[in-house]
Amino acid sequence: MLGLNLPVVIVLAAIGGVLAWRRANTLTWLLYTWVALWAFFKYGFAVPIPQSVATIYLGITGLALVCFASSSRERLSETVQPIVRLILEPRYRLALAGLLVALPALAAYNVYADLNVPLEAPGFGREVHPPPPTEMTVHDETVDMATAENPYLHYKHDDPELYGEHLENGRRVYYENCFWCHGDGMGGDGMFAHGLNPVPSNFNDVGTLPILQSSFVHWRIAKGAPGLPGAGTPWDSMMPAWEKFLTTEEMWDVNLFIYDFNGYEPRALGQH
Amino acid sequence: MTLHATRRAQAMATVAAAALLLALPAGAQVDLGTEEQRAAGKVVYDKYCGQCHGDTGDGNGYATPRVKPKPRDFTTGTYKFRTTPNGMLPTDDDLRRVIEIGAPYTSMPGWPNLTSAEIQNVIYYIKSFSPDFENPDRYGEPIEIPRPLESTEESIARGRVVYEEQGCAACHGEVGRGDGPSAPTLVNDKGDPIKVADLTQRWTYRGGATKEDIYRTFSTGLNGTPMPSYADSLEIEDRQHLVNYVYSLGDGDEPNYGTLITAVYSEEPIDLQDGETLDALFEAAPTTRFPLVGQITEPGRNFFPSVTSIEAQAVYNRDEIAFRVRWHDLRADTSGRNSPSLEVPMWDEDNGIGDDAGDDGGDSDDFFGDFGGEEAPAEDDFFGDSGGDDFFGDGGDDFFGAADAGPPGAEFSDAVALQFPASLAPEGTPELKPYFLYGDSQNPVDLWFVNLTYGVADTFRGRGSESIEPTEADIVEAVTSYDQGEWTVTYKRRRSSRAGVSFAEQQYTPLAFSVWDGFNRERGNKRALSSWFYVYTEPSVQAATTFPIVRAAVIVLVLELLVVFLVRRRARQKAAGEEAAGTTLATTEAPAV
Ligand code: HEC
Ligand code: HEC
Ligand code: HEC
Repeated sequence: MLGLNLPVVIVLAAIGGVLAWRRANTLTWLLYTWVALWAFFKYGFAVPIPQSVATIYLGITGLALVCFASSSRERLSETVQPIVRLILEPRYRLALAGLLVALPALAAYNVYADLNVPLEAPGFGREVHPPPPTEMTVHDETVDMATAENPYLHYKHDDPELYGEHLENGRRVYYENCFWCHGDGMGGDGMFAHGLNPVPSNFNDVGTLPILQSSFVHWRIAKGAPGLPGAGTPWDSMMPAWEKFLTTEEMWDVNLFIYDFNGYEPRALGQH
Repeated sequence: MTLHATRRAQAMATVAAAALLLALPAGAQVDLGTEEQRAAGKVVYDKYCGQCHGDTGDGNGYATPRVKPKPRDFTTGTYKFRTTPNGMLPTDDDLRRVIEIGAPYTSMPGWPNLTSAEIQNVIYYIKSFSPDFENPDRYGEPIEIPRPLESTEESIARGRVVYEEQGCAACHGEVGRGDGPSAPTLVNDKGDPIKVADLTQRWTYRGGATKEDIYRTFSTGLNGTPMPSYADSLEIEDRQHLVNYVYSLGDGDEPNYGTLITAVYSEEPIDLQDGETLDALFEAAPTTRFPLVGQITEPGRNFFPSVTSIEAQAVYNRDEIAFRVRWHDLRADTSGRNSPSLEVPMWDEDNGIGDDAGDDGGDSDDFFGDFGGEEAPAEDDFFGDSGGDDFFGDGGDDFFGAADAGPPGAEFSDAVALQFPASLAPEGTPELKPYFLYGDSQNPVDLWFVNLTYGVADTFRGRGSESIEPTEADIVEAVTSYDQGEWTVTYKRRRSSRAGVSFAEQQYTPLAFSVWDGFNRERGNKRALSSWFYVYTEPSVQAATTFPIVRAAVIVLVLELLVVFLVRRRARQKAAGEEAAGTTLATTEAPAV
């Protein structure tokens, strides 16, 4: 669940391997370290880390590399040697001229690209699972979030037939109310999902239902987006507050159904 | 898609070749699978399909009253998307195609996660619902789909002639926006109203949007719908030209939904009455298409909105800002009433009109069941149904009597609204916005609402769905027009406002849209709406771009030359020093740069 972009990481490691095998000089290593880190931040994560954070990391790394290179006289001259040779030796004259042209061109391109990024709507982070309240009132009943559990879950072992009835009722509730957003197969890809920001939760995902207690899911179903704290950007989410439409039993039944459909169990109480 | 297309083409070729070469009787195609395969198919069906198509395959699942079009009734053996002639059963490959990619912009999703064997099993199971699949006479030879012709001007022009001659426009409209004169009257063979395809929005074609799909659609027709087959009336070549014409009507393959309108600056005055200058102004502004979905978060839900997207533009000058929005609507409904806060009774959330699924209890279902019944209602009845004026009348007349009241669809008018926060988020909380559904008590929104019956803009302040009040703080002007299936509404307001949001330069202002289609009985919260998006007011003076680019290059070049110069000077000094010390060293003399 590190969210790494594996091919990129492998390629970067492979380049490092080649450098080690070819016994690259200090300068090459320093350049490699910095460029590899840049590439890792930019392409190495499935969800890229924010530009500002990456810039800070790269700045620190750059500083560390300079310190390293200048930590002793020998190392400094060892690092600088290739640059000095490039500048002084006539056989590199062409390469030097090339570099003299290439670097300003790169800088110019960078500025050009920066000026031409297509305008985008401002994006904001949002907390997907903000902390729930300690208790809530649903249909005049107080629910203690720390101890509440799906009251029908235990039928799974105690009374499979009754369990089946609750599941079937949950199925009805889901396909009368939820699939437009959360999808027929619960992949978060219902027929309205393309118009929603934030997108509907994907219940197939191992990072959603299994890590949540059934009371948390009950809270989200009963109170919807308007029940979220500010960190969850309640003003953007279309998740309805189902207490307006459903009975408490229906809400627990659909809770049961979304777990069962995906073969998951709610996280047990007291487990963190 | 192309993969599917090729696979389909190959499969078809194989079937066709086999049938031709071996001259098999048509009955040889009957393949109902084995007992085990059907049993395996039932497992998949019960988990993924029954909730819509019904556990007994009759199309009466849990979702049925709330989706349009309704899930296919598998007991009838009537299928829309086929390579086989009109009235015939689909091939297994036709069914597989629908199951894999679904029918876009309907509730029928694609099922890419099912394995090929699972799909085959579920196909066998679906076929077992209808005895038709045992009848060899219901099987037809799949048509051959020729390669598309090159889309030349002549070909498109010829296609246009065919389109006119064949009367496509009667349903699909002059320019294909689904607004033909017959469009509001069409029902399918179960009596349900059916929406004519908007040929300009190819991504919404339910049977697929490639040229091959289009060829197939009008060659074999869509069984059970008014969309006929033209296999008998059109030569193959004319059909190919027609494909090119239909394709040319399209606004691209993808909707390319955006998240931002860029408002461009102009020195010109914005005069809403001067259409030509206004058009010229907007000509220069980029257009963004935004997705709309049904409002299903608060009571008065709209599970099947008519309008699925809206295009928007914005321009501004020193004092004023103007917005232009456009969307397609099969008919201009300009005689009814509408407002953002009209009450929507619970029964009007469901798929009532002409509903034949009304026997599973519930008052609302009974209500519609009485109208629709089993047989298709006559066109007039259908509109009568929707025109339930009396029902809303406070007089409390028997609303069943409404069936013979009023002109078609006169009850609700088309309408549109732009929504802005009443004020921008305070410094440091840029993400804070009012609730996207008409705002909330702490953060109100302003609505620029146009009821297209009157064509003027009314402003409302929303503090949530229960609290929407008219305001007069700002004057918003609007002009509206309806042309060949497209509404255009242009708004204008002063940029600065004392009570609402002001549009400063280089400001991102949240904005959301609502559209009501009166024909679909949309009013109040029963509407199509969008999430929050943004309008960005582009700087009035465009910053020069060449200077910073040149500056960056020059700085880097100067630094480089400096390094080169210093290194060389050092080397020369060193060489000089060493020479002085009497050492011989073959240092290269630095060439001048
Ligand atoms: C109009 C669209 C819409 C409908 C209908 C809808 N949801 Fe949601 N739901 C969302 C969105 C968007 C999110 C993610 C944003 C958020 O957390 O609020 C979400 C989040 C959730 C979550 C929180 C998951 C998590 O990881 O914290 C649960 C649980 C949930 N929905 C259950 C349901 C159930 C059950 C129904 C039907 C009774 C339903 N939803 C109907 C849009 C919808
Ligand atoms: C959420 C509701 C829903 C679910 C779930 C669903 N369908 Fe459908 N299905 C529909 C609708 C609605 C249509 C009709 C589309 C149309 O008329 O354009 C349809 C149409 C079809 C068709 C007919 C296509 C034609 O040519 O007429 C087939 C076959 C089909 N579905 C198979 C399946 C299978 C198999 C599954 C399960 C894996 C499934 N559907 C699940 C709603 C659903
Ligand atoms: C009697 C009315 C009528 C006429 C005439 C008609 N159509 Fe249609 N057409 C429809 C309807 C209704 C639909 C939508 C069917 C559906 O979605 O189930 C449709 C759908 C389509 C589609 C899209 C199918 C899809 O995949 O969603 C195309 C393409 C099309 N028609 C082309 C044509 C062409 C070309 C002609 C003339 C040769 C034509 N139609 C004539 C009523 C008509």
